[in-house]
Amino acid sequence: MTRARDVLALCLLVVLAAAAWAESPWPKGLPRDLWEILVPETNPVTPEKVALGRRLYYDKRLSKDGTVSCATCHDPTKGFSDGKKVSEGVGGQKGTRNAPTVINAVFFEFQFWDGRAGSLEEQAKGPMVNPVEMGMASHDDVVKVVRAQPEYAAAFRSIFGREATIDDVVAAIATFERTVVTGNSPFDRFMAGEKTAMSESAQRGWALWNGKARCNTCHPFGSATPNFSDNRFHNIGVAAKGRDFGALARLAAQEGDPQKLAFHADFSELGRYVATKQPKDIGAFKTSGLRDIALSAPYMHDGSEATLLDVVKFYDKGGEPNPYLDGGIVPLKLAEQEMKDLVAFMEALTGEGDGAATRAELAAPGK
Amino acid sequence: MKKDRFEKYLDDRDAYFGRVARLGRRDFITAAGLAAAGAAATGKLLPHSFQPVDVVRADGPSFRFAYISDSHLYEKTLNERFVRAILKAVDDVNAMNPQPDFVLYGGDLAQLGQPGELGEGAQILKALKAKTYMMVGEHDWYLDMGEKWRSLFGKDTYSFDHKGVHFVVLNSVIVEDYWTGPGLTPMQRMQAMAQLDNPNGRPFTVGAAQRDWLGSDLAKVKPETPVIVFSHSPLYKIYKNWNFWTDDAEQVQTILQPFKNVTVIHGHTHQMLSNRIGNIHFHGMLSTAWPWPYAPQGLPKLTVRMNRADPFDEFDGCGDGFVDVLSAGHVDKQYNLWSRNPVKVSAAYLGSDGAADRPATETDVNY
Amino acid sequence: MATKTIRKLLLGAALTAAFLFPVARANDDTSVSLCDGQSVMTIPGLKAGEVLTPERARTVAAEMLQVWSKSAGEERWASWKAEAASARPEPAPVAAPGPQTPPAAAAPGQPTKFTKRDLQLWGREEKKWIEDGYKAYHNAKALGGTIGISCDMCHPDGSNTHPETYPKYQQQLKKVALLRDMINWCIENPLKGKPLAENDPTLRAVEAYILSTRKGVALEAGKH
Repeated sequence: MTRARDVLALCLLVVLAAAAWAESPWPKGLPRDLWEILVPETNPVTPEKVALGRRLYYDKRLSKDGTVSCATCHDPTKGFSDGKKVSEGVGGQKGTRNAPTVINAVFFEFQFWDGRAGSLEEQAKGPMVNPVEMGMASHDDVVKVVRAQPEYAAAFRSIFGREATIDDVVAAIATFERTVVTGNSPFDRFMAGEKTAMSESAQRGWALWNGKARCNTCHPFGSATPNFSDNRFHNIGVAAKGRDFGALARLAAQEGDPQKLAFHADFSELGRYVATKQPKDIGAFKTSGLRDIALSAPYMHDGSEATLLDVVKFYDKGGEPNPYLDGGIVPLKLAEQEMKDLVAFMEALTGEGDGAATRAELAAPGK
Repeated sequence: MKKDRFEKYLDDRDAYFGRVARLGRRDFITAAGLAAAGAAATGKLLPHSFQPVDVVRADGPSFRFAYISDSHLYEKTLNERFVRAILKAVDDVNAMNPQPDFVLYGGDLAQLGQPGELGEGAQILKALKAKTYMMVGEHDWYLDMGEKWRSLFGKDTYSFDHKGVHFVVLNSVIVEDYWTGPGLTPMQRMQAMAQLDNPNGRPFTVGAAQRDWLGSDLAKVKPETPVIVFSHSPLYKIYKNWNFWTDDAEQVQTILQPFKNVTVIHGHTHQMLSNRIGNIHFHGMLSTAWPWPYAPQGLPKLTVRMNRADPFDEFDGCGDGFVDVLSAGHVDKQYNLWSRNPVKVSAAYLGSDGAADRPATETDVNY
Repeated sequence: MATKTIRKLLLGAALTAAFLFPVARANDDTSVSLCDGQSVMTIPGLKAGEVLTPERARTVAAEMLQVWSKSAGEERWASWKAEAASARPEPAPVAAPGPQTPPAAAAPGQPTKFTKRDLQLWGREEKKWIEDGYKAYHNAKALGGTIGISCDMCHPDGSNTHPETYPKYQQQLKKVALLRDMINWCIENPLKGKPLAENDPTLRAVEAYILSTRKGVALEAGKH
């Protein structure tokens, strides 16, 4: 029953108050060797860095017009997403992506829906200079803003031993994000032996998950994959919904360089292909994690599925046909109740106390 | 200043995506113009339209044909997976731009040679836009000794010329009579043939009659004329237990020996398979239905193997492809593997005995 | 070395005997006998149902060994040692080619508990089981498949099944699995049938056939 023990370790996780942080700089309950794999050696977690990162996370001055911070689109009160189909950046501009949650992002090997960032640090750099997100002209501008704040100067000097650089800024933000982990959901308690922790419907959903519904193929639960993602990229057909994605896909396969298609209206739908330039990645997007998933509707990379039941129905019909559809996506022929059971199961993945949202340590500073 | 991967990505994106991202569809032309201007500035080439243009090289392809092979159709009521697969292949070929000169069907259209299976296959292949040449496999033949096949598709052995290349289509799955003695029914005869690892199977041959016909057919062909032979069995000897074998291969090769450039395109093996014997290049075709494992012995050293398939993905290890017939006489063969990146095995690779132009081996572990 | 082990066994046996064979009770004493049915010893002060402390049990066992040595003597000990040495198994005979050949009989002159005829009879049964497995392996309906796909279509002659690598983390199952778990997964997924019960004869026969195809291949649990 090693699995139960691992789960027990995970499910006893609670993010501690700052005092406890001083004693143990990693979330209590996460297996220490797992934590050591996930945190880069060059950016260890310390309470001071977490606090600094948190301030930067909420700081709207890091955007072009002072209206957008990380927390705008990755809002802790909205499951660390923003409840919108696609996010809105400076000047109210709409992007093409549903904001991924920060919850348990530490467990991912890649960040962004197309996986082009290899770490949370790399990811944090992206939105800052994206014209439709935070809109800064360059990272230098971001650094200028940070250096201009006296309250940051002391913190950077004490933590990093120098004036703020962009790498330090994102290191702090990433460190804060690493503390956004959840556990101790009804599912975790069920796996640890508490047989009444999950409803019967959710228990049936868990059986379907590993059986007829085949969800565990890409959303497995295990000691190596506690957040229900296989860290891979799959084309399940979301990119093809309501668009002539087939033509774009074939063009991309013949083209070989995605940048040459950058002006195509549906360019963003090429997904992972943009990062790897490999035809097998056309229209493929990163498998999401699923803990606390009930908190971050709507779903999919373009926010096109409003509820979890819609998501299940999408899979049930076999996704959306397109030339690069993952061969494992097939119609499931689930019964109505089976679909509801799967939804009940996913709802049982919400960590204790509304998960990450209500924890004081993660709220905006000064509140 | 050394740029990390992410910053390079941003630079690339800036050149094309920046302001253009917010333009709507009707601003396409403007966008293309902007992008072209941007591209000119960065020294990158763009096609004039969105269609990539095939650059014709001096030693380049004089023409291209596509192939679909080994579909092993059951009737739709029993198994629609194989039907979906052949439809996917037809879709792939119909989407080729420009269209291939013709399509070769590589044999084993039906699984048990039944009229319903063959009829269904014929119906599906009618949807191909390009002209189709049919070749017979053992699964098509041994229920009724080719009666239905001939009524649908005409002769099983024939030749034709196209753009200066002489094509020969053989029925290379002739075996000695194993059914009359034991008094097998037609279905028993077919099922015995359908089992690849049948320990009592008889080896494939071309047979004396066809060899004679081949000799006289080729008597009219000049030695400099490229010759391409379509055959279901490989026309060389790999592994007898699975009939990856043609028993009179040496005799057939002798007939082909006087010709400078001979290529054999064969089915039956359902995998990436390449070989060269003297002046003859051998290329195996992929199946649309399922991949065979590699034989425990007898694999030609020039073969670059594909990773074993993930049984969860119904299309993994399967696919279709095309053949570029080079003006120099041999061919470059493209394996269009579903769920994986395409692989090209070129004449240069085979001709140099593997020294030049080695196909990329898969580094990704598929599962 | 063997002596030490046998003595340990004897001690263990003695300890067990102390709990299992209380004989007579005189006042608050319990008598124990050894498995040889002869050596008897009284343990003063041991009430019925009372359990000895480990230290006391060891002392008792040592004393029992003394008793046994006195009664049986070193001759029995020596003969027992000799029998143990001769019963040590010889290296297994060379693997027979394919499932059709019956297994080689034990080399002559060895004291074994089974005869050549036994081996022939058992070989016959094994062969039948493997043949049943072979038949099901090649028959979609027998496996419970619903779309006409049978095991041999992706695994002719058991190729690419790698039964010698189990148990291992099976990517499709997302957990560590045995061969039969994967057989059932294949029945459920590519074959589109219902997974068979753990003790289903077809499942076990198919597993037997697959294992038989890899005779002689070294075991390598966890190899991917």
